[in-house]
Amino acid sequence: MSFWFTVLRQVGRNLRQTWGSQLMTLLTVSLSVLIFAFFSLIYTNMINFGEKLGDDLSLIVYLEEEPGPELQQQLINKITTFDEVEKVRFISRTEAYERFARQLGENRDVLDDMPKDFLPPSIEVVPLKNLRSLNQVKLFSAYLSRLPGTLKVQYGQDWVERFYHFTRLLSIIVLLSGTLLILTTIFMVAYTIRLTILGRQAELELLKLVGATNNYIRTPFLLEGLLQGIVGSSLGIVSLYALFQWIKLRFSGPGFLNVFEFSFFPPAVSLSIVCVSILLCTLGSYSTMQKFLRI
Amino acid sequence: MVELIKVSKEYPPDVVALKDISLSIGVGEMFFVIGMSGAGKTTLLKLLCSMETPTGGLIEISGKPIAQLRGYHLARLRQKIGVAYQDFKLLTDRTTAENIAISMEVSYKKPQIIKKRVRDLLDQLGLADKHDTITGELSRGEQQRVTLARAVANSPTMILVDEPTGNLDAITTERVMNLLNKCNKAGATIVIATHDDSIYRHTSHRVMELRRGRLHAVSGGLP
Repeated sequence: MSFWFTVLRQVGRNLRQTWGSQLMTLLTVSLSVLIFAFFSLIYTNMINFGEKLGDDLSLIVYLEEEPGPELQQQLINKITTFDEVEKVRFISRTEAYERFARQLGENRDVLDDMPKDFLPPSIEVVPLKNLRSLNQVKLFSAYLSRLPGTLKVQYGQDWVERFYHFTRLLSIIVLLSGTLLILTTIFMVAYTIRLTILGRQAELELLKLVGATNNYIRTPFLLEGLLQGIVGSSLGIVSLYALFQWIKLRFSGPGFLNVFEFSFFPPAVSLSIVCVSILLCTLGSYSTMQKFLRI
Repeated sequence: MVELIKVSKEYPPDVVALKDISLSIGVGEMFFVIGMSGAGKTTLLKLLCSMETPTGGLIEISGKPIAQLRGYHLARLRQKIGVAYQDFKLLTDRTTAENIAISMEVSYKKPQIIKKRVRDLLDQLGLADKHDTITGELSRGEQQRVTLARAVANSPTMILVDEPTGNLDAITTERVMNLLNKCNKAGATIVIATHDDSIYRHTSHRVMELRRGRLHAVSGGLP
């Protein structure tokens, strides 16, 4: 009889004997992986969305007076002193009026009684892609507001800040759910293996006496942890995928989710989550063996 | 060859189970250890199978001090020693066949060989109809025979038997002794601890008597 045949038979026997607690552990591992992967998925999608929004980020500097060509060059020099920018564009009062009128569309007649220079001139500054963190944008905005002749700087501060805080909150949730995953996988698996060991104390004692090697006794327990990791995490990831597909199907078409363009983890990330879970479960099983299975 | 040199075993706080036992048991010998309850017979067997360690002295099997064996080497030694314990140590939720097979499984014997050997042993011990019976449902006498079957199943080079006939009638006792004799003739060293004089009264093998943990006398054996 080969070593692996014997060991696998022992694993089967253990699973049959303690199927109740094994099932509970399996569900806990699956649920932990599902929770962690769910928040990670939202987080990564939010980050992607944020990057996409960042591509369209521009700062509008409203000016008191329309700058002449010489002042325009001076302002460009001042702006690029802070950092390289992708684009700087001056918008005159008339251009601002035309743009506003275009935006109003059919309702442009509301402007009929207004003078064509009632809107302030402005500079549209598109920062480089590396200027993406909220603090950097804030600093740049503060710098621009100190330029001579500046009335106000706008870049959708409120929205950007809310989005930034939301992603911060998500990252904390991801960290917490990651901790939950680590704790549940290690401790639940360790606890189940401990129950199995205690339930089989007489058999383990006998195995030692009839000459079973350490590997013969320990490997089945290690495999149990490994199996919990493989099945539990795969179940968690598959459930998340099913949930993801359901949400996509349910909320497809024009609407909120279309703005976000949700995407699932790449295969490598899914595989990494499964591998880490397997590692944690095996670790849980190993630590229990070290503690309770003295041979 | 088993060598014991001034072997002692004490249990806390101050119970002396064995004191200064020195003896040699040859390869292929059948050796009886007799004495009253509490004389130290079971302790001696436990020391021989390294289930317990002596508090003094040296025990060598085939020239190797067993106290120094660890891990794989200790497991290999235990595979070569079959032990029929006085308290049976049966897995009472498993069948008779599974209990006997366990000693062969640890040395990775093929399933067909295990099956054949189990059936063969059950036949020899009059337990053929108990193959699939849960051992918890067997009588004491039947459990004792299953323990013996497990001890000899893996064809060990040394068999230690503690009170093998304690719960058996005369016919079954003869069956058990026949099996042990057969193993002995096949080359196994047999050490039997007993206080049943019917099994050693007319023996030509050596008989060692223990009294209060001390070697009282060794008699018999061929000159």
